[in-house]
Amino acid sequence: MNTCQVNPITLEVVCESLRAIVKEMRASIIRASFSSAIYELDDFSCALFNPQADMVAQSDDHPGHVMPMPWSVKCAMEDFQGDIFPGDVLLLNDAYRGGTHLNDVTLLYPIFNDGELFIFPAVRAHWADVGGMTPGSYSGLATSIYQEGVRIPPIKLYERGKVNEGVMRLLLSNMRLPDERYGDLNASLGACRVAEQRIEKILGKYGRTLVLDCICENLDRSERRIRARIQDLPDGEYCYEDYLEYYDGDVLDPVLMRLRLKVSGDQLTADFDGSSPQVPGVVNSSLAVAGAGVFVAVKSTLDPQGPVNSGAFRAIALNAPEASIVDVRNDAPAGAHGEVRKRAVSVMLGALAQVIPEAVSGDLSGTSFPNSIGGYSKSRDRSYVYIEVPAGGNGGFLEADGSSAFVNVDFGSIRSIHNVESLESDMPLQVRSCVLREDSGGEGERRGGLGMRRELRLCEGEALYSVLGDRAVIPPFGMHGGGPAKQLSVSWERDQTVKLFGTPGKVTGHPIQKGDVVIMESAGGGGYGDPLNRDPEDVRNDMLSGYITQHRAEAGYGVLFTGEWEVDDARTSALRLDMLGRRLRLTVKADETYPYIGNRGKRRAVRLSEGTLTRLGARVGDLIELIGNHPAPLRCWIEFGGEIEQDICPIDEFGRSVLGVEPAETVWVRSLPGPSAAGGMAV
Amino acid sequence: MVTTKGFKDTLEIARTERRELYNIKTLKPASLVLRRHILEIDERISFDGAVVKAVDDHDVEALLARLVEEDPAAVAVCFLHSYVDDSHERKVADAIASALPECFVCSSGQVLPVLREYERFSTTVLNAYIGPRMQQYLDSLLVQLDSREFTGTIFLMTSNGGVVGPKRAGEFPVHTVLSGPAGGVAAAIELGKETGDSNLITCDMGGTSTDVCLIENLVRPLTTEQQVAGLPNRSPQLAIATLGAGGGSIAWFGDGGIIEVGPRSAGALPGPAAYGRGGEEPTVTDANLCLGRLSPDTPLAGGLLLNEGLARSAVGRLALGINQLDTEAVADGIIKIAVARMVSAIKEISISNGYDPRDFSLVAYGGAGPMHAAFIADEIEIPSVIVPFSPGHFSAFGCLGSDLRQTFAQSCRFRLVDENWSDIEAKLHEVESLAMTSIKVDFPDIDSVQVEREFGMRYVGQSWELSVRVPRTVSSTQELGEVFESTYRRRYEHVHELPIECVEMRVTVIGPVAGPGCSLGADVATAPVKRTRQVYFDGAYYETDIYDRNALSGSVIGPALIEEDGALTVLPPGWRLAVGQARELRLQPMPKESS
Repeated sequence: MNTCQVNPITLEVVCESLRAIVKEMRASIIRASFSSAIYELDDFSCALFNPQADMVAQSDDHPGHVMPMPWSVKCAMEDFQGDIFPGDVLLLNDAYRGGTHLNDVTLLYPIFNDGELFIFPAVRAHWADVGGMTPGSYSGLATSIYQEGVRIPPIKLYERGKVNEGVMRLLLSNMRLPDERYGDLNASLGACRVAEQRIEKILGKYGRTLVLDCICENLDRSERRIRARIQDLPDGEYCYEDYLEYYDGDVLDPVLMRLRLKVSGDQLTADFDGSSPQVPGVVNSSLAVAGAGVFVAVKSTLDPQGPVNSGAFRAIALNAPEASIVDVRNDAPAGAHGEVRKRAVSVMLGALAQVIPEAVSGDLSGTSFPNSIGGYSKSRDRSYVYIEVPAGGNGGFLEADGSSAFVNVDFGSIRSIHNVESLESDMPLQVRSCVLREDSGGEGERRGGLGMRRELRLCEGEALYSVLGDRAVIPPFGMHGGGPAKQLSVSWERDQTVKLFGTPGKVTGHPIQKGDVVIMESAGGGGYGDPLNRDPEDVRNDMLSGYITQHRAEAGYGVLFTGEWEVDDARTSALRLDMLGRRLRLTVKADETYPYIGNRGKRRAVRLSEGTLTRLGARVGDLIELIGNHPAPLRCWIEFGGEIEQDICPIDEFGRSVLGVEPAETVWVRSLPGPSAAGGMAV
Repeated sequence: MVTTKGFKDTLEIARTERRELYNIKTLKPASLVLRRHILEIDERISFDGAVVKAVDDHDVEALLARLVEEDPAAVAVCFLHSYVDDSHERKVADAIASALPECFVCSSGQVLPVLREYERFSTTVLNAYIGPRMQQYLDSLLVQLDSREFTGTIFLMTSNGGVVGPKRAGEFPVHTVLSGPAGGVAAAIELGKETGDSNLITCDMGGTSTDVCLIENLVRPLTTEQQVAGLPNRSPQLAIATLGAGGGSIAWFGDGGIIEVGPRSAGALPGPAAYGRGGEEPTVTDANLCLGRLSPDTPLAGGLLLNEGLARSAVGRLALGINQLDTEAVADGIIKIAVARMVSAIKEISISNGYDPRDFSLVAYGGAGPMHAAFIADEIEIPSVIVPFSPGHFSAFGCLGSDLRQTFAQSCRFRLVDENWSDIEAKLHEVESLAMTSIKVDFPDIDSVQVEREFGMRYVGQSWELSVRVPRTVSSTQELGEVFESTYRRRYEHVHELPIECVEMRVTVIGPVAGPGCSLGADVATAPVKRTRQVYFDGAYYETDIYDRNALSGSVIGPALIEEDGALTVLPPGWRLAVGQARELRLQPMPKESS
């Protein structure tokens, strides 16, 4: 690392000026764009890159966008090595090459100085539609990437200042609402032109050498800072595993994301070895995307204030099996990139909890939950594509309850829902109601945040509804004994009859008509700490405010009330003692049999005796969680183990390391009820 | 709060976005209204003004019964789409006002008739939150003034740097949230005109907080995107940033034994330890006294003498906690930390927005501003500091010179191609006459006013409108379109071949108020009164000259202290100052000697 000798004030001013350019680009795009995903939800990001594909500046940009972007820039640079000229503009969205999902279209705008490529402003923005099988291009049940829209490898949209009309027309002809897309493209281009002027000004004022020195020192100091934090962690290997929900037809076949997090000195390695091979379903993404989840988890627990640029990424290495759910290849779909990223955050929280238990929270709601409705509005004489990603709850943590309906930490400053008034003005939809979802937060000494329930009525004609969610069956987990959160749910109502979908959380192009109501319910956040330790007054306030029901106060928290709704201390203490005594604990036995079952997916099975099943009140095939010495639980599905003794729980070495238990120690077990797929579970 | 059925969580759900990225422990700002204090009415007006569900009188009766039982001090009525038609809101608000005559009632369509319910509801609830106190304050002010036979006109400063009358301020107190700081900014602009400085960063440091604002080319930096405690306040206001550190801010041990300054403050009671009113914790003021900058012999405004012994022992207790025996070093540290917080606030409004602070002058005022300004400027390399005359009263002085200024917005929606200019002009006249009627409530005799017209315009298909200043010379929709396109191109570097629509009309009525001018002050004496004192700067004591500002002219080399009623200017070693035309002090670092 060479240390550049730059006056600290100048360093600050130059770096912040670059950041200010990004901020200005952002403001310009929000105001000038045509996709509501951009102007209402802020689902876009800007950043500056150098020719080495280092991200040198960003602002409050979406981590899920900007962190994979260096991979895209690198691919573009490889494809066009030595063939980039002033006036060229590059476009790409390839999900296999540093892209996210196909809706996120990236524009690269090379800027030259003295004939040399100097810096790239880049914009990655969510286009409301990029073609594919359903309006909005979100297809929860897609089986190949060709159903998810037009795939754009790095191409030149402009060559030496001249637009490639053929490319432009080809692209727009394959997308719904081409006028809107054209407007979005121009908004991105305009932002890059603003950036170009500002960069010229900075170069004029400080000179090329000084600006480059500042960029270099800024990257280096960011690297030094994050490495110092990692250095403070004890060396070792920390393991965790979690799932994404893949449907084979209407059969649920969960896929496994498995993580070994290695800390060695000031270096972190996130190794996804053992994760499921990619599946012909949406729950795959690139390593760039999983890596974004890893970085977000590291930074938001270890160093929230540190800068975000490529320097900070250098301390983290990634490893994954090829053609797996975290390293997707042709021609698997990649629509659930947000879910893959969020699950990477989940497994990172599970692993980090073993090292820094006070710095993590209960699991987050864990899905982007994109809902889309597309159709034609006769009264407005135009087609429309609606998209919203209703935020769920956040996990509770040491100091506080998790916030409700608040986007997760990997989601940048995205607004997950429209203003009702703008939405109703722009599209033939009426928001019937939008409220917090009672009892959806995970129980805990610190409660998980609540999800929301948002109901949309179609006011005109016909439309297609799609959703691509996760955590619809396997709920977000709690920490330190905190309970799981309520899973997300989608349903629809016609003539006052509410119906669920056969593939919870994933729907492609379901037809709805005027008067139908779509009901979207986002997941809650996981609890933190034993719910029986929650201050009964907090439980009482939650109940009076309607965050939890009286039933939950009693059954989940062991709190009873007097006739005047005061806490009944004596009866509460007695009930809590009784609940504690009734908890089922199993004795761990080492069993190195391959623990995973499934068809294309992989899920952990645990064999239990009939007696244990009876005591647990559960059946074969049910989802349960084991809670050991580590804060985060281990999830498994019950298999019948005729030969297993009562109250014995056989677990392999990886599972024991997740739990932090040795053979002969005990674990607390509880069942996790939830909805099921119409076709059952894969065998 | 009373709201549309199905939307009681609008404020708590908010826009769901996080403002602090990358922190797993970030919490959403808490809503001002408890969930159980939010009541719903089954009503609905559509985006196009159609009544989907009328307000049922029985529902209103039930609501009133509930409210009478709860007896709230204030109620905010917030219904969807009331910017199009607020008749439902007004019906319910009127009913509440008659049932609860003591209650402060306001409705969102009146407070801020613009699209986007979350921001409008939030602003309205803020209005209700401060309404009762503001009403009480104004009532008692008017009674007091009446009893003393006051015959002048009463103006109240609003956040946009203009003034309004007491009736309007009482109804819409949310528009006055930043009135104090706005006065200072208005005064700084006036001062800049006199001194010829066109780029200014203001730093108004009082007892508990500091307000900073960036002024480029002496243009009032207006915004509608500010927050109060994390909650949106969409009233038009000057872009002023506030941080919780001032002279009364307490120094304390934070996590990991790091000394932190603020945001907790000793206030006026008990006040800093040196006030001798029972304060035990050291404040920035105590630190300044320990270093010899503040004087134990010169009474503060109000006659209070500072007690150096108490200040020293308060700072000493903090010093003990970090095994540091040198009280001066700790006191100096407290000031450095306070200064660092100011610096970071100034960076946020300048560097983070693409401005280089080295292109600006720092205008320092408020009781504590001139004491710290040179240190702030030093950190961030601002080349010159301006201390206005009587800095302790500078904001108040700014209020005196501010014009009457009221903005009226009206939602509308039409495409330029579909509309005649004469119809548009008729609508504008309608808003203008509404504005005049409203102004005449407070000022019946007003006649000469200026009117500024602004349109919120966009291309069809876009959601965010661009604010377009429309000169009165515009007289056709084609010209209006051209004004929009040139504004759009300047902002976004491109234009579209798409139809243009108007979504809002805004009219600002400005009534000039004669101000006192900036050169106000006592007569200039010739020779400065001079004493000396030992003052600590950066590790050592310096023999330091003390001047009386009222008698100061010419220039001075630091170290020096300039005392005046209500403020003290600190000129550190290596700095010099000169007295300017408007009697301002201009502090500048001296060129460093080459070694």
